[in-house]
Amino acid sequence: SEEMSRIQMFLQHDSAYACVAEFGELGLVEFSDLNENVNEFQRKYINEVRRCDEMERKLRYIEKECRKALNAVPPDNGENPDTPMPSEMFNLELTFEKLENELKEVNSNKETLMKNKLELTELKHILRKTQTFFDEAHLTLGSTTGSESSSTSLLSAEAPVGDQHAPKFGFIAGVIVRERVPSFERMLWRACRGNVFLRQTEIETPLEDPVTGDEVNKCVFIIFFQGEQLKTKVRKICEGYKATMYPCPDTQAERREMSMGVMTRIEDIQTVLSQTEEHQTRILSNSARNIRLWFRKVKKIKAVYHTLNLCNIQKAIIAEGWCPSADIDRVHLAARRGTERSGTDIPAIINKMDTRKIPPTYHKTNKFTHGYQAIVDAYGIADYLEINPAPFTLITFPFLFAVMFGDCGHGTIMFLFALWMVWNEKKIAAEKSTNEIWMILFNGRYIILLMGLFSIYTGLLYNDCFSKSLNIFGSSWSLADTYTTMDITNNTLATTATIQLNPKYTFDTGSPYPLGIDPIWNIAQNQIVFLNSYKMKLSVILGVTQMIFGVLLSFSNHTYFKRPLNVISEFVPQLLFLCAIMGYLVVMIFTKWLIFDSEDSAIAPSLLITLIDMFLFKTHILPLFSGQQVVETLLLIVAVVCVPWMLLMKPLTLWMRNKNLLKTNQGLTVRNVRTVIHSREERVNIVDEDELGVGTSDDVDGDIKGDLDEEVEDAPFEMSEVMILSSIHTIEYCLSCISHTASYLRLWALSLAHAELSEVLWNMVLRIGLVSSTYAGSVITFMVFVGWAGATIIILLIMEGLSAFLHTLRLHWVEFQSKFYHGDGRAFTPFSFSVILDSSDD
Amino acid sequence: MGSGMSGPTFNIDNGYLEGLVRGFKNGILTKNDYLNLVQCETLEDLKVHLQSTDYGTFLANEPGPLAVSVIDDKLRNKLVLEFQHLRNHSVEPLSTFLDYITYSYMIDNIVLLITGTLHQRSISELAPKCHPLGKFEQMEAIGAISTPAELYNTIIVDTPLAAFFLDCIFVQDLDEMNIEIIRNTLYKNYLEDFHAFCSGLGGITADVMCEILAFEADRRAIIITINSFGTELTKDDRAKLFPRCGRLHPEGLAALARAVDYDQVRAVADYYAEYKVLFEGAGNNPGDKTLEDKLFEHEVKLNVNSFLQQFHFGIFYSYVKLKEQEVRNVIWISECVAQRHRTKIDNYIPIY
Repeated sequence: SEEMSRIQMFLQHDSAYACVAEFGELGLVEFSDLNENVNEFQRKYINEVRRCDEMERKLRYIEKECRKALNAVPPDNGENPDTPMPSEMFNLELTFEKLENELKEVNSNKETLMKNKLELTELKHILRKTQTFFDEAHLTLGSTTGSESSSTSLLSAEAPVGDQHAPKFGFIAGVIVRERVPSFERMLWRACRGNVFLRQTEIETPLEDPVTGDEVNKCVFIIFFQGEQLKTKVRKICEGYKATMYPCPDTQAERREMSMGVMTRIEDIQTVLSQTEEHQTRILSNSARNIRLWFRKVKKIKAVYHTLNLCNIQKAIIAEGWCPSADIDRVHLAARRGTERSGTDIPAIINKMDTRKIPPTYHKTNKFTHGYQAIVDAYGIADYLEINPAPFTLITFPFLFAVMFGDCGHGTIMFLFALWMVWNEKKIAAEKSTNEIWMILFNGRYIILLMGLFSIYTGLLYNDCFSKSLNIFGSSWSLADTYTTMDITNNTLATTATIQLNPKYTFDTGSPYPLGIDPIWNIAQNQIVFLNSYKMKLSVILGVTQMIFGVLLSFSNHTYFKRPLNVISEFVPQLLFLCAIMGYLVVMIFTKWLIFDSEDSAIAPSLLITLIDMFLFKTHILPLFSGQQVVETLLLIVAVVCVPWMLLMKPLTLWMRNKNLLKTNQGLTVRNVRTVIHSREERVNIVDEDELGVGTSDDVDGDIKGDLDEEVEDAPFEMSEVMILSSIHTIEYCLSCISHTASYLRLWALSLAHAELSEVLWNMVLRIGLVSSTYAGSVITFMVFVGWAGATIIILLIMEGLSAFLHTLRLHWVEFQSKFYHGDGRAFTPFSFSVILDSSDD
Repeated sequence: MGSGMSGPTFNIDNGYLEGLVRGFKNGILTKNDYLNLVQCETLEDLKVHLQSTDYGTFLANEPGPLAVSVIDDKLRNKLVLEFQHLRNHSVEPLSTFLDYITYSYMIDNIVLLITGTLHQRSISELAPKCHPLGKFEQMEAIGAISTPAELYNTIIVDTPLAAFFLDCIFVQDLDEMNIEIIRNTLYKNYLEDFHAFCSGLGGITADVMCEILAFEADRRAIIITINSFGTELTKDDRAKLFPRCGRLHPEGLAALARAVDYDQVRAVADYYAEYKVLFEGAGNNPGDKTLEDKLFEHEVKLNVNSFLQQFHFGIFYSYVKLKEQEVRNVIWISECVAQRHRTKIDNYIPIY
């Protein structure tokens, strides 16, 4: 982590705004909330925040209108405006207010016009459709004059309802939403007991709703009824169903006349409407150009006021926060710029404070290291100044991944894909895709790049390329000598399917294959057995190395935080324990590789049995080296001694110290300060070993008295608690040495699975075409290739890649980081405009 | 009930929704939120605080100045949206269960509209006041009817409430008294039916829901009795309105039917430990909590408890009820704030 400083800022009321704005541009200061007990709405600058909210609301309204009217997203030219000064805020408010009012007026005008138009259009349809209703009646009954008799005859002809002697029929015509027609019809029937007659027909063209702008399908209906009572009832039902009713003249001539009138009025309205729309577009296209800029300005103002709300406001505005110690000069500069901008003379005062508060953790990253830091942070943010595993992860992560994913063909594809992303990163980043999965891939492009690169390397070592071996240098196995020594003739070669090669005769001892595994193993029947032994041992070696490295890192943590007790009581026994058992196993692996060759490989002892025998104090039939028995006994004794060492030393030491400290403190109130200063060394240790004070070593002596009293009162020494903690740690560590080593065997298992899967894919799919000796084979290969390539990408690259990634992640989080990493810190979240704007732009 | 309702198989159909509701429930305002809300000086303050809760930006697009009715609408809207989301993703039998929850709102809407038309209000004025969860297609045609029989034949017959209405057919005309009778009869039948449905579902759902519904039934019986004093409702008619699925049934209800004043009701409640406590804590003196508030508090407690069990539908009901209570609380506080009448501002019923 960067070293952080607690800073206190005294800002003048006049210049505070400008200063905070500059800090926002700088993005290196984290403000602490000094008014934690004050409600959000009781803070000083809440009114300004509210005004910003109001401005944002207006902007959203304008934006929505832009989208609706222009059918286009307002362009974003990525401009980054300066934070507007408070005086400019008024201007902005005025502009938005004016725009909003103007838009509202235009909108309401437009709405009325649309409504009128809708009504007229509906009326037009009614007139046209009812015409057909009436015409049908005419056809059946011949022409009649007068509406009364017309409707009467119509009804009596088609719907023999009502009383023949009371020819007073009325009708209501209207328009209703199509979906509601069936229910409407049923309701009419029920409510009027079948005494009405309804005809309805659909309007073919959908109509536009004036308020929402949606298209709705509607129906024209006409209801005939008899008597006033029914009329009111029908009217009420129509109202209930939100049907619009229109007056419809009785005679045909009147209807025609009305229809003509309606047509001309629709035309008039259309002209006015298009003018209004033009006006609206003009207003909107002007504001659409600026809307992103305005949004950013308002966001900035709001962020500044939010930050000011965190400050303690008295005669001056007092803010406290964290900033990286190295950048404190830039903070000073920013404050000076802010003061100049606001035009006041009194400069802002920035003091470094001494504090016991634990600073936040801040890791500076670049685009390359960012992904790796994210992997570590996902497990837990590092404690302040704790050693950060990310730099090591940078290499170990892709490497362990590649051990599992080793295949230079697949690695190349992965590498090229990542290379493409890296090559085009500016373009892709500018697109701001919202696809989550794609963004995960893109953000991890440098991880994928290295993973691909390392996979090519391990693939070459495994000599594995799409499950086939590359015979670049020529195999070191040769049959030339075999003819004589093993009695093999050309005839045997032709008739037997397999031949057992004895390395004694067939391996060219002069020069083994120069890089990785000899390609001949690819066609050997015992390939898996051979590779298993190799990869398994490799896994153990890599695993133990990484774990020992982890334990060594814990040493650097202990020394940095000045915890000598931890070094003696934790680090040393841990390292001894790990080396005595697992380290020894690694030594044995190398020894076995070195001392057995093809001559005597048959009598080589099993390492597993050797290790078990070591615990059982058994004598080995064939020792790997002279004095193995003595060495093993010694190592075992060391390992056993380490257990109580880890378990008891720390609690007992702490207990003794506590007792001594209490003794010296009793009755020494007058000389307390001096005693305390003398016992400072001890105190620091106690505090640290309780894992409480991280920054104690930086403390000035003046603080000590108060702090000490606090410590003694606040954290009374609890032997049982320390003991339980210690025993948990001990048990966990001892068990984990075994289980974590076993866990590293996943390197072998996944590597095996990957190789086998790609081989199966080759044999089951691509080989179908390749084995054919006719021309048809080329066609089959052509077709089968698609399947093979697809399966390779989906299963081997994506699925296998993900699973290998996951296992690598686990190996780092659990097996590696558990040896030294606490991860209880808090991330540094500076007040930064770019972060605020980025997060709200999405 | 069949598979899919118990233990491990519950999640096949309902796991997502249960998870969702539990998530929603975590957004319910806490005591701290209320303490902050009570300190608000204006509705704008209230808005600022609500923004920091799960309600988020629900008021962000409202131009000022804020009115209580706008807050009410928006609060309710949020619940309705959540409920509709749940309903749209549910499968049987949960969807029927959720429909049952909406029936009570339908009853309220019908009664609201009838009372409104009785007072010569137009439907277009009344319709926006109806609860959105209880809306149904035929609702707004209520203006066209004038007798209970017509109400049944034209409107209710097509709704799920038809079965509940049969007891009201005999009511002669629509006056205030009869509307109350119709409302309570509908409610009684609704509660009994819902109770039967929940016992039919069996399992934990039955355990949880029957307890809540039994309390609801008893509460209605008690409130009906207390409110009927001094009205022309006869004792027999009153007895017919008591939902018979609560703990009071049958002895308690019989005793309630005979009661003539508040003390007698109280005497009935004394036989039931959980109700006795409620009556003891209630009073009409300033500073005391009213019986109604006590009953609400008990309801809230039951609803909160239903979240303690898993794999049942009760949480859906409880969530809606708790959220209703929360809306009532926020509206109460906003009214007090808006009218600058702060003496009774603390009379809300906190949920946690």
